[in-house]
Amino acid sequence: MNSQDFVRQSTGLQVPHRRLSSFWRTVHIDPPLLVGVMLLCAFGLFVLNSASDGNPGDMRRQMTGMGMGLIVMIIVSQFNVHFYRSWAPTLYAGGLAVLVLVLFVGVETNGARSWLDLPGLPSFQPSELMKFVVPLMVAWYLASRPLPPRFKHLFWSAIMVLVPAGLIVIQNDTGTAIMVAMSGIFVVLLAGIRWSIVLSGLFALLLASPAWYIFLAQEHQKNRILTFFDPYRDPTGAGYNIIQSQIAIGSGGIYGKGYGNGAQSHLDFIPESNTDFILAVLAEEFGLLGVLFLIALYLFVLIRGFSIAWSSRDMFSRLLAGSITLTFFFYVFVNMAMVSGLLPVIGLPLPLISRGGTAVVTLFIGFGLLMSIQTHARSRVV
Amino acid sequence: MIRGKWQLKDHEAERRLFNRRLTVAGVFVMLLFSALVIKLVNLQVYQHEYFSARSDGNRLHSQYVPPARGLIFDSSGRLLADNQPIFNLTVVREQVEDMDALLETLAGMISLTEDDIAQFERRLQRNRVPYTSVPLRYVLSEEEKSRIAVISHKLDGVAIEPQFVRQYPYAALTAHSVGYVSEINREELESLDEAQRENYGGTNHIGKTGIERTYEDLLHGTVGYELVEKNNRGQVTRRLDRTDPVAGKNLTLHLDGRLQEAAHAALGEFRGAVVAIDPATGGILAMVSKPGFDPNLFVTGISSSDYGRLVTDQINTPLFDRSTNPYPPGSTVKPFIGLGGLHHELVDYDYTIQDPGYFRLPGVSYRWGDYTLRTAIGGGHGVTDLQKAIYQSCDTFFYELGHRMGIDTMHSFLSQFGFGDNFALDVGYARTGVLPSRDWKRATRGEPWYPGDTINSSIGQGYMWATPLQLATATAIMANKGKVVEPRLLKAIDGEPYEPLIENPRPDVVIEDADYWRYVQESMTMVVHRPYSDTFRDYGTAFEAIAMADRDMSYTMAGKSGTAQVVGISQEILSSEDIEVSDLNKDHALFVSFAPAMHESIEPQIAVAVFVENGEHGSSVAGPIAKAVTDTYLLEILGLDFAAMEPGDEAEPQDRLVSQIDE
Repeated sequence: MNSQDFVRQSTGLQVPHRRLSSFWRTVHIDPPLLVGVMLLCAFGLFVLNSASDGNPGDMRRQMTGMGMGLIVMIIVSQFNVHFYRSWAPTLYAGGLAVLVLVLFVGVETNGARSWLDLPGLPSFQPSELMKFVVPLMVAWYLASRPLPPRFKHLFWSAIMVLVPAGLIVIQNDTGTAIMVAMSGIFVVLLAGIRWSIVLSGLFALLLASPAWYIFLAQEHQKNRILTFFDPYRDPTGAGYNIIQSQIAIGSGGIYGKGYGNGAQSHLDFIPESNTDFILAVLAEEFGLLGVLFLIALYLFVLIRGFSIAWSSRDMFSRLLAGSITLTFFFYVFVNMAMVSGLLPVIGLPLPLISRGGTAVVTLFIGFGLLMSIQTHARSRVV
Repeated sequence: MIRGKWQLKDHEAERRLFNRRLTVAGVFVMLLFSALVIKLVNLQVYQHEYFSARSDGNRLHSQYVPPARGLIFDSSGRLLADNQPIFNLTVVREQVEDMDALLETLAGMISLTEDDIAQFERRLQRNRVPYTSVPLRYVLSEEEKSRIAVISHKLDGVAIEPQFVRQYPYAALTAHSVGYVSEINREELESLDEAQRENYGGTNHIGKTGIERTYEDLLHGTVGYELVEKNNRGQVTRRLDRTDPVAGKNLTLHLDGRLQEAAHAALGEFRGAVVAIDPATGGILAMVSKPGFDPNLFVTGISSSDYGRLVTDQINTPLFDRSTNPYPPGSTVKPFIGLGGLHHELVDYDYTIQDPGYFRLPGVSYRWGDYTLRTAIGGGHGVTDLQKAIYQSCDTFFYELGHRMGIDTMHSFLSQFGFGDNFALDVGYARTGVLPSRDWKRATRGEPWYPGDTINSSIGQGYMWATPLQLATATAIMANKGKVVEPRLLKAIDGEPYEPLIENPRPDVVIEDADYWRYVQESMTMVVHRPYSDTFRDYGTAFEAIAMADRDMSYTMAGKSGTAQVVGISQEILSSEDIEVSDLNKDHALFVSFAPAMHESIEPQIAVAVFVENGEHGSSVAGPIAKAVTDTYLLEILGLDFAAMEPGDEAEPQDRLVSQIDE
């Protein structure tokens, strides 16, 4: 694939079948994106059914989450993206306020004090919402400034990214903090930040990482790093997950062991087989072909996201669409790389495949924004 | 103001900049996905075989399937050793994170004594195959089983496993002869060779004593294997392949449960032993040592308090097998020495002595008194020939005969009957006793043989020691008129009659004149049957206790009583306060017999040796016990009806006898 493919696809869609496309535009739904997302959801449920041994409770919760996500997506897409743009500073300020609130009244789950349990509302993680509020804010800020951004603008952008990320780190949820920061950083990267700055930033990170490792990293984080380099230094402890997950993937071979026949997962050798390590179940039962099929589905959604960004009429929409798409990719890649042993273990789910409700809803908000950009932009121009 | 900034922007240039960046992002996406695919191809294509093997290694476990231990039957098919299912709580050490915490949790749910835990830890010490389950508690009750089952999913490595264990229906009655199995200990495991250890992979128990030990190889069988799939918690989810174990052989013994019971009952409150042998086959019909113990206690690990009770009881010594341990045989050796006197022409039927009641070696002032007269009014037996010396148990006659015979002749003659040796084929643990000789004394005592030693030996005292098993063997040879039969317990394997291969068969006892056998046997029947008469001291010593006590006695019994002086009671026992010391100083009572004796048509069917510890009187205490055992065997088990056997009308009862024996 190369950039010409994006051009070809986007131009192909620019030749609309008038009547049909006008219907979708009226309901503010992007059919290719919807199809891609629905296929992923269906495949995810299929895999989860095996990974959870057909646990009806798990399946029902996952389907409920996806149904809610779809509804949220459609609601989000009904509003013009410029509506969100005008509300961006307010949303951002509100988001920060809630993050601060969580520090005082938050509920602790799995070691992270990140849940808010307000009376009358379902409990939720404000940090999840920041995953699209931060890019919304940075895009709002940079879109109206000359690009590539000047140093002053970069500085303020960095503040916008680091303040919420820092608050989330204080909640002891480093994984989400990294995701929130990345969603903002993608906006800056797409906005045309000079490569020299990017490279010096990476260089600085490289230099700082030993210091981080020595002075700041917590014991379990160090363990994860060491385990990444040598899983067998503690095969029944820290290295167990990755060893068992590699055994599952490797033993799946090209064609897999067949649906429901994954010995590693069904005999409980893979921990977290419903959530973070569900890819191991998929790879064991469907083999390399199954994983390639999943990557193809993801690519389809990603390409559609890129194409929406490419063909957007204004910079805010472009930056937002590009950031949402890249963040989605980042999720997918980090999880797959972690499960297959390319990256250290980071507790991130595989989007739309892993079990877990809140994360699914957040993803659908992102798809809703993409659809809003795609459908409203056209109608306004027409 | 915003409008002003918008005007400063070059929208087209910015769009191109963004699109370039988006293109770069797209390239990155493809590069990273490519790296992922390369990694996956590496794992799933190139390393597939390696990981497949790892995956199988994770879940597939080959485990042993222990064979069912062979059953042990008595000669009539009654079970002497059975296999009973029990449920055990087992633990796989490798799957337990915190053993102390686990034991604490379990102790709150089931009865778990310190003894159980100590034994469990001993089991863990043994060299076991990793990931095999180790029993923590045997014989869970139904209630305990259900309590464990409820929370078993939280207890990694803990399982309830069914197991077949030995059960001995006759309990104490066969404790010594059949023996028992118990857990294999480390030394036993290490003494096995490689192949045997493999064969014991799934076995927790091994024969420790008696038949269980002697025929361990036959009883154990061959281990089987099972390929199972286990999940992360070690629970078996599927069985994939199985090689069935080969069960151990079922053994049938010559022992008869009813005779065992009869002997046990006949001993009453006494400590002692009874051994009964079929003279025709050498089959051991009964072998009882009393008091016994419950061998079932040992099967699932005897508690230290139970064990302590068995070990510290120094008077009853229940673990001590009296049937295969030696005692002074006393006067029971007299028929054999008398036979030797005839054979070596030291005496003949007409030879008599004038018995003054004591014996003096020429030139020695010491008098060897006649023990049989100790409590009597004094004097001797008067004119005494060999026959009278046997039925009256005249010590003086044998002192004199023994002195003339000399220890060398006595030793070589008696050794043909199994004294000082273990003739038994499969009672390898039986002691050999002592048949003294010059060499023996020099080797063990460093002293020369004195003439006085011979005098003591000639009435079965002094250095001479024999086990009840040996006495029964010698008596069986006497009943056979010299034909030697090696005593044996095993009668059949899996129902097939077992004929042991005897490499060096013992030579039969050959006597100069076969009539000597008749003469001595007749003398022995007089022990039992010669009644009181006007003649002074001319009755059989056991007449009163046996023939007179049972006036309806339908068969003739040949016997010999013995009363042996107690030697070597340890000072420790004598000094303990709660013992009636006088009881322990009492003589041991012995009796040997065979029957029917001197019968026209029926060969002797049973030879019995009875030993009663501190029984005092061989004839009156041990004699009736031998009679009771013989009665049970001849009249009840064989069902012989001697009264119906009129002379000349022998055909029918003989047929019946043959059919009985064939059973």
